Amino acid sequence: MAIDEKLLRNIVEEVLKEMNLDNTIDSNKKEFIPEEISNMEIKEIGDVKKGTLPNEVVIGVAPAFGVHQTKTITGIPHYKVLREIIAGIEEEGLNYRIIRVYRSSDVAFVAHDSAKLSGSGIGIGIQSKGTTVIHQKDLFPLSNLELFPQAPLLDLETFREIGRNAAKYAKGESPNPVPVRNDQMARPKYQAIAALLHIKETQYVDGNKKPQELNVEFK
Amino acid sequence: MDQERLLKQIIEEVMKNINNGDDTAKISNDIKTLANNSSEIDASSYPLGEKIPEKIKTPTGKLLTEITLDKVINEEINSSDIRIASETLEMQAQVAESVNRHAFANNLRRASELISVPDDRLLEIYNALRPYRSSKDELYDIAKELEEKYNCRINANFIREAADVYEVRGRLRKDL
Amino acid sequence: MKSKRFEILAKRPVNQDGYIKEWAEVGLIAMDSPNDPRPSIKIENGKIVELDGKKRKDFDMLDSFIADYAIKIDNAEKVMAMDSVELAKKLVDINVSRKEILNLTLSMTPAKIVEVVSKMNVLEMMMAVTKMRARKIPTNQCHVTNLRDNPIQIAADAAEAAIRGFDEQETTVGIVRYAPFNALGILVGAQVGRPGVLTQCAVEEATELNLGMRGFTSYAETVSVYGTEAVFMDGDDTPWSKAFLASCYASRGLKMRFTSGTGSEVQMGYSEGKSMLYLEARCLYVTKGAGVQGTQNGAVSCVGVPAGVPGGIRAILAENLIAMMLDLECASSNDQTFTHSDLRRVARTLMQLVPGTDFICSGYSATPNYDNMFAGSNWDAEDYDDWNIIQRDLKIDGGLVPVTEEEVVKVRNKAAKVIQGLFRELGLPEITDEEVEAATYANGSKDMPERNVVEDLKAAQEIMNRGVTGVDIVKALYSAGFEDIAESVLNMLKERVAGDYLHTSAIVNKDFRVISAVNYPNDYAGPQTGYQISDEKWAEISNIRNAVSPEDF
Repeated sequence: MAIDEKLLRNIVEEVLKEMNLDNTIDSNKKEFIPEEISNMEIKEIGDVKKGTLPNEVVIGVAPAFGVHQTKTITGIPHYKVLREIIAGIEEEGLNYRIIRVYRSSDVAFVAHDSAKLSGSGIGIGIQSKGTTVIHQKDLFPLSNLELFPQAPLLDLETFREIGRNAAKYAKGESPNPVPVRNDQMARPKYQAIAALLHIKETQYVDGNKKPQELNVEFK
Repeated sequence: MDQERLLKQIIEEVMKNINNGDDTAKISNDIKTLANNSSEIDASSYPLGEKIPEKIKTPTGKLLTEITLDKVINEEINSSDIRIASETLEMQAQVAESVNRHAFANNLRRASELISVPDDRLLEIYNALRPYRSSKDELYDIAKELEEKYNCRINANFIREAADVYEVRGRLRKDL
Repeated sequence: MKSKRFEILAKRPVNQDGYIKEWAEVGLIAMDSPNDPRPSIKIENGKIVELDGKKRKDFDMLDSFIADYAIKIDNAEKVMAMDSVELAKKLVDINVSRKEILNLTLSMTPAKIVEVVSKMNVLEMMMAVTKMRARKIPTNQCHVTNLRDNPIQIAADAAEAAIRGFDEQETTVGIVRYAPFNALGILVGAQVGRPGVLTQCAVEEATELNLGMRGFTSYAETVSVYGTEAVFMDGDDTPWSKAFLASCYASRGLKMRFTSGTGSEVQMGYSEGKSMLYLEARCLYVTKGAGVQGTQNGAVSCVGVPAGVPGGIRAILAENLIAMMLDLECASSNDQTFTHSDLRRVARTLMQLVPGTDFICSGYSATPNYDNMFAGSNWDAEDYDDWNIIQRDLKIDGGLVPVTEEEVVKVRNKAAKVIQGLFRELGLPEITDEEVEAATYANGSKDMPERNVVEDLKAAQEIMNRGVTGVDIVKALYSAGFEDIAESVLNMLKERVAGDYLHTSAIVNKDFRVISAVNYPNDYAGPQTGYQISDEKWAEISNIRNAVSPEDF
């Protein structure tokens, strides 16, 4: 039987409904992210509660993401980054929550805090410049499941694969890691600029503010 | 040979020497032995594994020279034998001091205390010392454990000092 | 009209690099930031109560640690009162010995030592490096990694790198969970090439220690320290946890050094507006205070930041020199790409290659750069002949020697067979003859067959879980029929029983003799002193395969 994305979604939704978990799915989020989007609106809706359901991946964004900075180091708009990651997670039939981590702009901590708050124990951390990590709550903060340190090499397809793999880890699978890319000329070209972007991200760090749950509306 | 007797013997030899003027090689050898027997080791004995291998033992009491491939294959030597002993680290600390590397010697002395702490526990303690991992009490408890269970006095003080600094600088555990 | 000259210039590799103007306020400045503190010290009752303009009550974590552990106070007030230009002159004066200099520099504060080196130009700094390097004989370190974390290729590249002359080798991973395999590959590969080569696997701190304790590695280097407290926290450590970690290594008889470099604080967003060099000096004082024998420094992975601002490459040499002025082993970076320009990368390396450092590169990529998982090195396998010929041109020993194709093929093949046998004996996923063949002749991972990654990762986890140790590796190598390699791996394990290689700038030669700054201290005092290339070594360096002899005609 060929299972397409839509069918899979329906099945998962059915199952979750049967399990009385339908309130955990915000169907607005998943069904109606239009193909053509040109923006997103981010609202903070309060302190993040620790997830209890194993069918979620928490996406953690760094302090400036989507607000004070709106695109990655290579100019990919943040709304597209998020949409691809979400699409990847949903392709695997899982749910997601988006949070903002304030206590650090370091991608490892953003990801690790997300993992600790995730019902599945799997989190994704993204910096404004695009650097991304898939993390698991039991690992050391500076360890990870998969790390994508070279932000300039990340394209939309990679972000989707990252979402997909995070969801697979959440389901207890051992996916093939997203192929690692390496470009030794990324540093000469981008490192000094990356430093600038990171300085600007770090200006929004608040060591005493707890992670905030976000409502993201794509337009 | 105990040192007093050796010293006596050297003096006797020196006296004899004044009379007949030879045997200097033997005397200098004896002086060397005396130096090695005394508590201080310096850079002249370095590398210890090469110059004084007979003084290097594992914590399980085996000699460095006993660690051979045959014995490993026959399982007469196992992993727990291939470790450094406190006495060896103390000698290396003295070598370091003799070349004016005092901070390094202090590190080797802290290390010498930690030999008896099992690998897993050592990793846990290291992780507990990282920022935002522990409360002040937890760090003080670790210090107490190190002191009482493993006789690590320098490390215990070091960890208590860390706990005090972490408190002042707000680096103790915060819950999400 | 557009200038054709400018059109050509715009296309030059050097203009593909990113440059930024100084911005002192956020720390985008290599040296001499207006926000750098003025040197000062006050001592009361044997305790430093003021350090570089800050009172003890205002000390942050790093200040406290440095004041209590890193500065020799008996001489400090006298040295701090000396003129920095006079001190800089002593550094370049061949009549002032290394030992005399250390008596002064070990009592300086971070701001003072920075002020002293800021009085020197790069040539003067290079002269000072020639004298202040800890070990008499300079050498080199390489990286052995690949894009797919293929352990057979790692073993083969490590073996080749060892016969080419690298005394230390470092691997890291694309995927963290591959670490045990990469560590095994580089360990046995290096021993196949040349007994006694030290190997390490750069991963997260606690994991790295674990690999060392088990005997998968023989030293560690990726133990990072930072120059501001905020960045230290993002690095997930404190000076105390790092110092404790250093003692953990020594308690298991394992050599280790810390790592730091200019640009990391600004790269990680918290520079407090201080210059990159001043912050790096603080890192080096933390290293010294922790009682660690040495450092890997020289901007390292942050090189793009100092290299992007004016005077950045000079600052990198200055930070290497400060490490040496603190009597630390210095593995002097030259290990990360920072430019598209071949001219720039050579100019940057001459600063360390000409005077010689404990490890000129830390490291040189032993693979083509597309396989370098430290995001590319300043030098790679495809530059081997360039490096060799630069040594021959200048009559300097940069740690490498020319080798023949036959030797390389032979040693790569053996390394691949050894790891094949080791995997078999340890019950790890099969290494096929096809893979052995490919690794023997490969240039990079593009020439290697793919492996089943999921199966490998499971097995790598599994050998950690079942507690495989160095002794098991020795036994497995023996059962696989490689008694010589079993013996070498055992000898590496024995180094940790004697502990001689814990000392400053230690390496282990092919007869397992330890060569360090204790038994081979640098005694340079002008022409014809210090390290001199022997006739045999010069013959080796000069003998490149493509030089024609008069008899050929």
